[in-house]
Amino acid sequence: MIVRFEGWGAWVKLESTAAVVAIDREGVRALGLDGGNVWSAPPAVSAPIEVHLAVTARCGAGCKGCYLDARPDGVEPERQALEATLEALRDAGVFTVAFGGGEPTTRDDIAELADAARARGLTPVLTTSGLGLSETRMQRLRSFEQVNVSYDGASEAYSEVRGFDGAPAAERAIEKLAAAGVRVGVNVVLTRQSFPHLEQTLVRARELGACEGQLLRYKPAGRAASIDYLARRMTSAQRRDFAPTLRRLSGLLGAQRDFSLRIDCALTPLLSTDADIMSEPSRLSRFGVFGCEAGASLAAVTVGGRVAPCSFARATDLHAVDLPAGYAADTELERWRSFVESPPEPCFSCAIRRICKGGCKVVSTFVSGAHGPDPECPRVESHRAGLA
Amino acid sequence: MSDRRDVPESCVRQVRLGRGANCSSIGSVVDTLFATAAVGAAVFAAVVAALASEPVRVVRPAPPPSRSAGGDES
Repeated sequence: MIVRFEGWGAWVKLESTAAVVAIDREGVRALGLDGGNVWSAPPAVSAPIEVHLAVTARCGAGCKGCYLDARPDGVEPERQALEATLEALRDAGVFTVAFGGGEPTTRDDIAELADAARARGLTPVLTTSGLGLSETRMQRLRSFEQVNVSYDGASEAYSEVRGFDGAPAAERAIEKLAAAGVRVGVNVVLTRQSFPHLEQTLVRARELGACEGQLLRYKPAGRAASIDYLARRMTSAQRRDFAPTLRRLSGLLGAQRDFSLRIDCALTPLLSTDADIMSEPSRLSRFGVFGCEAGASLAAVTVGGRVAPCSFARATDLHAVDLPAGYAADTELERWRSFVESPPEPCFSCAIRRICKGGCKVVSTFVSGAHGPDPECPRVESHRAGLA
Repeated sequence: MSDRRDVPESCVRQVRLGRGANCSSIGSVVDTLFATAAVGAAVFAAVVAALASEPVRVVRPAPPPSRSAGGDES
């Protein structure tokens, strides 16, 4: 296990069980350890535990909602620069580095980069579209702990989200990767078009060998930051139906213990319609559900080597190699993580405020023009309807 | 390290299962959230067992100069 001291105890990344665990100071002492100056110093902002690293802006897929606006001629950082970033992430005590882009598998040195991450104690994972994933490229992915393939559904649903039918290529990639012994999951972007097909999409993914379904809220960044976003995001009714749907699918798919369901940070506000969760919000914390951790437990590094609060947010001036020393002091990162301290209503009084943290700030900035309560959260919608 | 003993389950404040592999937003497993109490207890028991058996390596980021983030704030 890898232990990282925090003011409240320590984060622990387990190796025999795929888990990251928060234990209090008494638990740390039981391990025979002491937090030393981390415990005696005033409470401090800590480094992220997960960083999303854009290793290329090159991609030929042309997805109409690409958050990075990746293109076939996109820039690609030198391996040396990426290894310097990995050094910095190690020094900061980061646990997981998720390789993305662009299409990261287009890099010939992707396996070497995964090995470089592992050599520094980082857990490397990767997201791919699966397009153009030859046998040779697939072999390069064996160094990753897990690979997620973007899969928004069978042909029609996939096309509706991305603007072309990449489903056959994605399905082939899922199947081949699983057969090659790579732990493979799927990323499913939820739009008003893909949400109705969600059950079929996940069942199909599991049939193909995927062990995990990662649900992602559609976000207005990159090419998706256009008026078209408003016509493609989940409808208000769908957002209200999300929590009961999730509960049902978790029971349906998780029953055989060979497939797990994940939600992304931006979907956490949609759990506010679940009465059981709202009456016992500590369950969210206990089982490690994160809301907006941008600039806190999560950070991103752009292809230009700058730190961003998350992959959808504009980069700060902080260079990735300066992350260990500069993460806490960066004022833009602080603006993102401090929203939770005194948000406007209805967030301030929300039972899950400390976990949700006000919802997705990328969405609130695009829709409302500023950081604020997530305008697509059902609870926020109800509050505003009551004020109207 | 010295005097290592079992970590009491009450000291485990938060369990984030899985590695995840999404490169654009941070994900969280929700199966345990909706599962029975018995399943949740089994997860915590497995974590306690792993804490008792795995070798320990410490990474220690330099303490920066501001307030706390992350972890269980409830």
